[in-house]
Amino acid sequence: MSLRHILAVTRKEFHHIFRDRSTLVLVLLTPTLLLLLMAYALTVDIKHVPIAVLDYDRSPTSTTFVQQITAGEDLDIYTYATSMSEVESLLMRGKIKAALIISPGFGRDLLNLKGIPIQVIIDGTEPESGNFAVDHIARRAEEFVNQALASQMQAMGLQLESLQPLDLRVRTWYNPDLKPRNDLIPGLISMVLGLPALSVALTLAHEREHGTLEQLMATPIGRAELLLGKMIPYIIVGLINVIAIPALAGAWFHVPFNGNFLLFFGLSAIFLFAILSMGIIVGVFMRTQAAALALSFLVVFFPGFFLTGIFFPLASMPEEMRMEALMLPGTHYAVITRGVYLPGVGLDVLWPYAVMLIFLGVVFTGVAALFFRKKLG
Amino acid sequence: MLRRIWSLVIKEFIHLRHDWWMPAFMLLGGAMELLLVGWATSRPITNLPLMVLDQDKSAASRSIITALENTGTFRLQQQADDTRTIQAALERGKINAAIVIPPGFSEQMISATGHPSLLVILNGAESIPATAALRAIEGMARDVDQRIILQRLGMDASQFAGFDPSLRVWFNEALSEALYTTPAELGLMLEFTVLLFAALAFSRERELGTLEQLLVMPFSSLEIIIGKSIPVVIVGFADFALMLGMVHFAFGVPVRGSLPLLPILALGYILVELSKGMVVSVISRTQHQAFLLVMLVGMADFMFTGYAAPVESMPKVLQYLANLIPAYHWLAIMRGLLLKGAGLDVLWPNVLALLLLGLGIGTFSWRYVRRALD
Repeated sequence: MSLRHILAVTRKEFHHIFRDRSTLVLVLLTPTLLLLLMAYALTVDIKHVPIAVLDYDRSPTSTTFVQQITAGEDLDIYTYATSMSEVESLLMRGKIKAALIISPGFGRDLLNLKGIPIQVIIDGTEPESGNFAVDHIARRAEEFVNQALASQMQAMGLQLESLQPLDLRVRTWYNPDLKPRNDLIPGLISMVLGLPALSVALTLAHEREHGTLEQLMATPIGRAELLLGKMIPYIIVGLINVIAIPALAGAWFHVPFNGNFLLFFGLSAIFLFAILSMGIIVGVFMRTQAAALALSFLVVFFPGFFLTGIFFPLASMPEEMRMEALMLPGTHYAVITRGVYLPGVGLDVLWPYAVMLIFLGVVFTGVAALFFRKKLG
Repeated sequence: MLRRIWSLVIKEFIHLRHDWWMPAFMLLGGAMELLLVGWATSRPITNLPLMVLDQDKSAASRSIITALENTGTFRLQQQADDTRTIQAALERGKINAAIVIPPGFSEQMISATGHPSLLVILNGAESIPATAALRAIEGMARDVDQRIILQRLGMDASQFAGFDPSLRVWFNEALSEALYTTPAELGLMLEFTVLLFAALAFSRERELGTLEQLLVMPFSSLEIIIGKSIPVVIVGFADFALMLGMVHFAFGVPVRGSLPLLPILALGYILVELSKGMVVSVISRTQHQAFLLVMLVGMADFMFTGYAAPVESMPKVLQYLANLIPAYHWLAIMRGLLLKGAGLDVLWPNVLALLLLGLGIGTFSWRYVRRALD
């Protein structure tokens, strides 16, 4: 293997990219643009959830209760419903995500310590906001009941030190306000950096589709050299995004970067090598760009989004899927990005993931080179 | 004219037969992928690794640990011996949460004025599981609070119904995650299938230099566009049917609304996405460009399907923008028809919006593509 050969292929590849300005701009900007888009839309804090209130009690107590529940920005009262059928229709049309129903006798039962006769109905088609509403209502209801209990007990002459005897001291490390942005943006980096892999699969299939692969094979360049040479421009494209994304995330979204940037840069290069070799495999097996595109969506893009533990924790996945997730470079890289970003850990903690990425990259490139030879016969 | 369109469709299918990998991936691959992704993500958040440092080692502290296990959210790691173990595990991302039960916990529990305290440490580096862990722990704490109060007041637990409001989940009684994740995932896969396929229609011919040949043949641009569209619609529709069967039989997603209405509206949605794909297809000079544009357009649409974040919580500007996204209305229609059993009387605003968007996008696409071809 000679470096001169690899670089020759790289130069040729750069030539292709630079020749077509609009592709160049798209290839360079797509990862960052995609991240920007997702950062805006996916990392919102849930608030302003529209609910309906159906108050059968209409007592001063229930009015205060409703006021207390809907104070703040979390829940918005869409309407005061007058009947169950109205609530049903609102839920059906998706106008509200939850409904709070206060039974008759609410104020009386509460004072008699008979519990809180309220019912919460949530729209089970989008439980994200529904669960949030229930959680919020439950917490506020507890506070309310506690206050009622306290005054009730004073009236009865009972002594009770506190109504929340259990003292829960919650500390959240690394991301004190549990802002989804602070960990989802680092996680999503692993997804958007998968895009160059799709590009590299396309360029390889492009050579075959246009018949220029034959010409390349007629040169003294070896197969592995060709594959590596094709990867290098896209590793560089990826690394430009590795600089642009943290800059953007810090300046625009105020995501703190607690670790060592050089380490992050180096590990990102390793990840790009691993994910690009996945793209190379796709490119080696497929004869046309359309097929390469369809396949790389299936093996690189969708799994990179759904199975790498960015949104859905690996711990909750079925065992078999967890195994598959561990074969994806993105899974390991997501641990690295979040680790460097938030706890700011170093190589002493992250080395197993780096080793795994190198291993995956070498195996994928090896498989690609092996089959490349066979395919060319 | 029909005969000429027919011959164009035949031409497209000959291409597909020659390169049969692509339709195979688009059809079967999409459905298989949905099966895998749905399988992996359609579960409640459970099994989160939790570490406990029990410095009290009493019956009371053990009851807390049992209560934590009973939430069903956690998988207990081996007990920690000191806080350093917890810190190391958190740094390595091995656990999502840790609980420290301080010494003297049980005395505080029993004492009439005591304040038993629990230290909860969450791993903020993964906010989604951390939030789930916090909810579970707070729920457990509410139960413990109630138990202590009743005990201190000398009341019987049966007298007090509790602080928790009674909860009912409509349209999804068992709170199955699959019911809300898989329809959105289906929507995403369908959108990408149609967009990609349509986007390659002309960009591919142009890149390979065969577009010129096609244009000099005695076909009108209308015939060419229709001929190019038919295979996309067929594959898109077959993909939809396959994936619908998948979510129904593999994930138990019901079809509560009108079954005949579903394919009709799906066809409408496919046509809208097809129009978008066609515009991308004539803008792009190479397949590579077409792919990158589809990526941006498709992902921008996916943001508004309510998969990861509810649209109502987004900034106001984005909420207005959502109304211009066909996928947003399609997902509302699909959820309505599948899960809520809604009919046209309820869904008409979304259907109307889809129709208007379809007319708008379709007309634009039609004129734009024609001009580009002429």
